Amino acid sequence: MQVIHDIEITTTSVLLDGKTIAVEQTGDKLLVELYRRYVGDYPKFFKMDTLSRLGFIAAELLLKSQEPMANSQQPTVDAVILANRSASIKNDTDYLATITEGNYYPSPALFVYTLPNIVTGEIAIWHHIQGETSFYILNSPEELKPIVASTLTAKHSTALVGWCECSKQDNFYAKMQLIWRN
Amino acid sequence: MEKLIEQLKAQIIEALNFEDMTPADIDTDAPLFGEGLGLDSIDALELIMLMDREYGIKLSDPKAGKAIFQSVRTMAEYIQANRTK
Repeated sequence: MQVIHDIEITTTSVLLDGKTIAVEQTGDKLLVELYRRYVGDYPKFFKMDTLSRLGFIAAELLLKSQEPMANSQQPTVDAVILANRSASIKNDTDYLATITEGNYYPSPALFVYTLPNIVTGEIAIWHHIQGETSFYILNSPEELKPIVASTLTAKHSTALVGWCECSKQDNFYAKMQLIWRN
Repeated sequence: MEKLIEQLKAQIIEALNFEDMTPADIDTDAPLFGEGLGLDSIDALELIMLMDREYGIKLSDPKAGKAIFQSVRTMAEYIQANRTK
């Protein structure tokens, strides 16, 4: 496997291919800042939970890092394979708050994000990725490596892979890569 | 009615997380779904919840939704005629 690009996003910093991207905001506002700077024309971003926003922005920066090529040569992304330890717990908690006794107005908009694999769907929709998408609940990023190796079996295939974690509001971490199986 | 329309626009923006939008950006008579605001089925559920939560209106006839949610104005007219709070 060859790493084409990698990105690390914390609540206070962004590191793309080892280089710091300057940001002014922190926490969820940092993700909004990156959205406004690099995307800006996809209002559905604001409906996403923090986990999806995190994965969406990380994927956007990874794919935007690609050198422009002639259309026929542009590599397509064949798979999106992500994992974390806390599933969608942050959004699950938010949703639970809408159905507590005395405040029984369950939010459909929150409910649709009560699964962690939604983030892979959001990435696939935006980037028109039609291959494999999957999300695993694991103890550590190391456990994802054999899963990626067994999923990405075709030679010369490309995938977005990595760790995408959000356990609480303004408490998230992403370490994702664009990889190529040579 | 105009006051209700403005209030409703603000509530829609908040309920649907249109962070980049102000009430002035919403055309009162533009379609809510498809063209116009381009809302989807999840947004429709949020609007149903909004009408229940803010105005005490429970929509029991799904077929009526198409006419009620035609635009902000049709929503406001329905709310004015049927609100219980």
